[in-house]
Amino acid sequence: MELINMDISRREIRRYLGYGRKEADESVSFLIEECVGELLKAASPKSFYREYPLRLLEENRIDFTVFQTKSKNLTKNLKDCEMSILFAATLGTEVDVLLHRYTKLQMSKAVVMQAAATAMIEEYCDEINTAIKKEYEEHDLYLRPRFSPGYGDFPLECQKDITAALETGKRVGIHLTDSLLMTPSKSVTAVMGISKKPYRCEVKGCEACGKKDCAYRRN
Amino acid sequence: MKSILEEIRERIVFFDGGTGSLLQESGLKPGELPETWNIKHPEVIVKLHRDYLEAGADIIKTNTFGANGLKYNKDSEFDIEEIVAAAVKNAKQAVEEAVYPFPGRKGYIALDIGPTGKLLKPLGDLDFEDAYEMFSEVVRIGAGEGADLILIETMSDSYEAKAAVLAAKENSSLPVFVTTIFDSKGKLLTGGNVESTTALLEGLGVDALGINCGLGPVQMKDIFKSMIEAASVPVIVNPNAGLPRSEGGRTVYDIDADEFAAIMKEIGELGAGIIGGCCGTTPEHIRKVVSLCKDLPVSLPEDKNRTVISSYAQAVVIDKNPVIIGERINPTGKSKFKQALRDHNLEYILREGVAQQDNGAHVLDVNVGLPEIDEPSMMEEVVKELQSIIDLPLQIDTSNMDAMERAMRVYNGKPLINSVNGKQEVMEAVFPLVQKYGGVVVALALDEEGIPETADGRIKVAEKIYKKAAEYGIGRKDIIIDALCMTVSSDSKGALTTLEAVRRVRDDLGGKTILGVSNISFGLPQREIINATFFAMALQNGLNAAIINPNSEAMMRSYYSFRALADLDPQCSDYIAVYSGQVATLGQTVKAGGSGTGLSASGGGAGDDLTLGESVEKGLKERAHTAATQLLEIKEPLEIINEELIPALDKVGKGFEKGTVFLPQLLMSAEAAKSAFEVIKEKMAKSGTVEKKKGTIILATVKGDIHDIGKNIVKVLLENYSYDVIDLGKDVPPELIVETAVSKDVKLVGLSALMTTTVPSMEETIKQLRKTCPNTRVMVGGAVLTEEYARTIDADQYCRDAMASVNYAEAFFSQI
Repeated sequence: MELINMDISRREIRRYLGYGRKEADESVSFLIEECVGELLKAASPKSFYREYPLRLLEENRIDFTVFQTKSKNLTKNLKDCEMSILFAATLGTEVDVLLHRYTKLQMSKAVVMQAAATAMIEEYCDEINTAIKKEYEEHDLYLRPRFSPGYGDFPLECQKDITAALETGKRVGIHLTDSLLMTPSKSVTAVMGISKKPYRCEVKGCEACGKKDCAYRRN
Repeated sequence: MKSILEEIRERIVFFDGGTGSLLQESGLKPGELPETWNIKHPEVIVKLHRDYLEAGADIIKTNTFGANGLKYNKDSEFDIEEIVAAAVKNAKQAVEEAVYPFPGRKGYIALDIGPTGKLLKPLGDLDFEDAYEMFSEVVRIGAGEGADLILIETMSDSYEAKAAVLAAKENSSLPVFVTTIFDSKGKLLTGGNVESTTALLEGLGVDALGINCGLGPVQMKDIFKSMIEAASVPVIVNPNAGLPRSEGGRTVYDIDADEFAAIMKEIGELGAGIIGGCCGTTPEHIRKVVSLCKDLPVSLPEDKNRTVISSYAQAVVIDKNPVIIGERINPTGKSKFKQALRDHNLEYILREGVAQQDNGAHVLDVNVGLPEIDEPSMMEEVVKELQSIIDLPLQIDTSNMDAMERAMRVYNGKPLINSVNGKQEVMEAVFPLVQKYGGVVVALALDEEGIPETADGRIKVAEKIYKKAAEYGIGRKDIIIDALCMTVSSDSKGALTTLEAVRRVRDDLGGKTILGVSNISFGLPQREIINATFFAMALQNGLNAAIINPNSEAMMRSYYSFRALADLDPQCSDYIAVYSGQVATLGQTVKAGGSGTGLSASGGGAGDDLTLGESVEKGLKERAHTAATQLLEIKEPLEIINEELIPALDKVGKGFEKGTVFLPQLLMSAEAAKSAFEVIKEKMAKSGTVEKKKGTIILATVKGDIHDIGKNIVKVLLENYSYDVIDLGKDVPPELIVETAVSKDVKLVGLSALMTTTVPSMEETIKQLRKTCPNTRVMVGGAVLTEEYARTIDADQYCRDAMASVNYAEAFFSQI
């Protein structure tokens, strides 16, 4: 799916940089704009998803058809769902080249680039997810918020199953390292439940996490 | 039986189609490895191959797409040897048993090699040579079992494709076909395009190249068109059955077999020599393609005779439109550069590269020859570093054959090689490398007799070089003659001779030329004046490429104005874009790493009245540099460090801890301080004072972890606080860290890990350090770590941020 409008939130970038809700001074704001500009040129966002039947089993075990796992948090997230979407998205390798370049040459810009790229992949996922959501709602089906391996007690190991099932290597270019890191680094994999029941509580990624003392927490 | 290479010259040849979806229909479960079916269900595999052969396919792909040592090894159910051997046997059986639709024909077996499933370094964690080894293993087994050719397919990374082609060529003598996977914009997932991929693969000497997977035939058509315009070898097109969508967990395609065949016929008419299918295609698809296309006349691409080089991302054609080759990565006559090489200061070299790119270079010359360093390993390292941050093609410049080969091997593209000449011995050393790795080689018009004085003499040497190159299968298009630029102050006719030679290489030999322009003015004052004028004269005489200093405004003026005047810059748009807003004076040299787009950021020129301390606090790099230079006239270096720099850094550091200064500002201050330190160090070096370091610290991102931004932040800060930092990089094995701590007697080690999955290797590193160097302290940091977590893995100190590591180092070294 193509890029929709990619309005990257400057506030999110500042939050990743540790500013919380504070404004940045002129020189850092300038750096942020520079990074966003370079990222928009370098990124080639790509995403891919597939729908699979879902079964919620006993003891918080979950069957995604192409793999099984066990997670209390995810079981809660997928309540009332009968289908699931496996989802993968990435900004592509050129963004990593940019990050690498500034890590070698100008660390201050590298950290800003890092934050801006994180905000960008999140924004991209949000846009794609909104589009998928709309599509499903036309058929009176409702999507749950995306949930990624490593969130809460959803095992990071499942990264392997999701990337294999979606063949992310050839479709969008996401590969895993031996330690389950994704390359390119600005990539996301996630699952989303599909239910006939609408979902009221719109808690997204950050707020849904139990780690309340995190330095980067949104609220 | 004819060889497949003869066959493709006579008629359109057909590949088979998809395997995966057909195996799924036969019962392959999700997650089950398809290659195991070679052994578990050979009858299914043989039948599948037979079905394709009987549908009219000429080439079947062995069921080995995912067969590599990562998936099949001593820990798995079957090892790689068993899998590949069984796969080729199944294919052979099918070839023997098939009832062919066209009498007298017999199928060919392509040993199928897919990607490793890993991304290569530096973007991923697989080493180029490890990838090469994995491919080599498959090639040796498959070739030994009797495959007829090797098909390297679905490659989305040109670097991985290169490793596979080298493995195929070095471990077999079979024909090598390569197909890559492009997106709808014609890009590889790692950024290359059709032209750069074609240049790389043809340089490596593949027998056919093309496109597979990712797209349906409709979307592939345009990409195919641009490939057939660039390629000189037969082109393969193996599309998916269409664009896929999921229907109730099943994949369906947007077109049917009839439509598929109809579009493949169009592609065949446009000149595809080898066609077939990929995911979702079936024997039915192939049968229809064969019946529509079997009588199409074969039209192989003619030799395009283009002189083309490439980087991982782009191709550069050397032709009428002159190419600028940046000459600055070269230690000759540059004491700072020499020092950078001795100090292993790669950052300095990378900055030279980026500055030249910003100033308009199309290619970067890379010369790192210095008697006292290990040139081959330095060359390899610099090439790897440059290609990881800069997308320009490189010119490998060395007379050390070992350095040349190592650079050519790890280079992700088709390089320029500098240089060969007419000497027998040199040609015999360089041409085999060009033949093997591909490249365009700069050929100096001199030989055993020396430099010919006349243009005639140089033309003769050029002809000799062309002739010798042809013996190695290297065409004229891959040779670019250096007509030799002689110093005009020692021979007033020298320039005219060079220009005549340039013109005649073009007119008499139909060849391409290059000059190291700056030589012309050696020994003269204000050299740029002569250089710029001579450059314009050479361009007018047909010079195709120039090795110059692109940071020299005078040279770039000649370049842009020549292009505008010679109808090479439509509507003078480049000229206008560069000069409409510029007010620089002639003779100005743009500062390396200066005002270009790459490294701009804050602070250039601002705040002229600020003190050094204030400039550091505000993170103004250039002002800090100037302020330090001015201060050095009235103050001692140590005074400046202690009274200005350290207090400013402390103030910023405290602000960061209090939450009034944020990470980007902290780093901008650090960078400003660093630029001040550079001037101060230079002064100290001149006066013979040695900078006193507070201690030595090893920094490393632990094994398995490739995210090193945190570690690099810490490094910037520690260096500013006068620590000697040994940066071991990322994905560092525990053994190397221990070994370094022992050999350099290091008392403090900083480790970073980002993921829960890599903290165990942090723990292992600490364990090994405790055992071998019990007096060494370990500080740790990283996203997943906490105070408590750090304690459980036996670290001495948890550092929640970069300043915390500085504080710990300060406290630790003040005690010992």
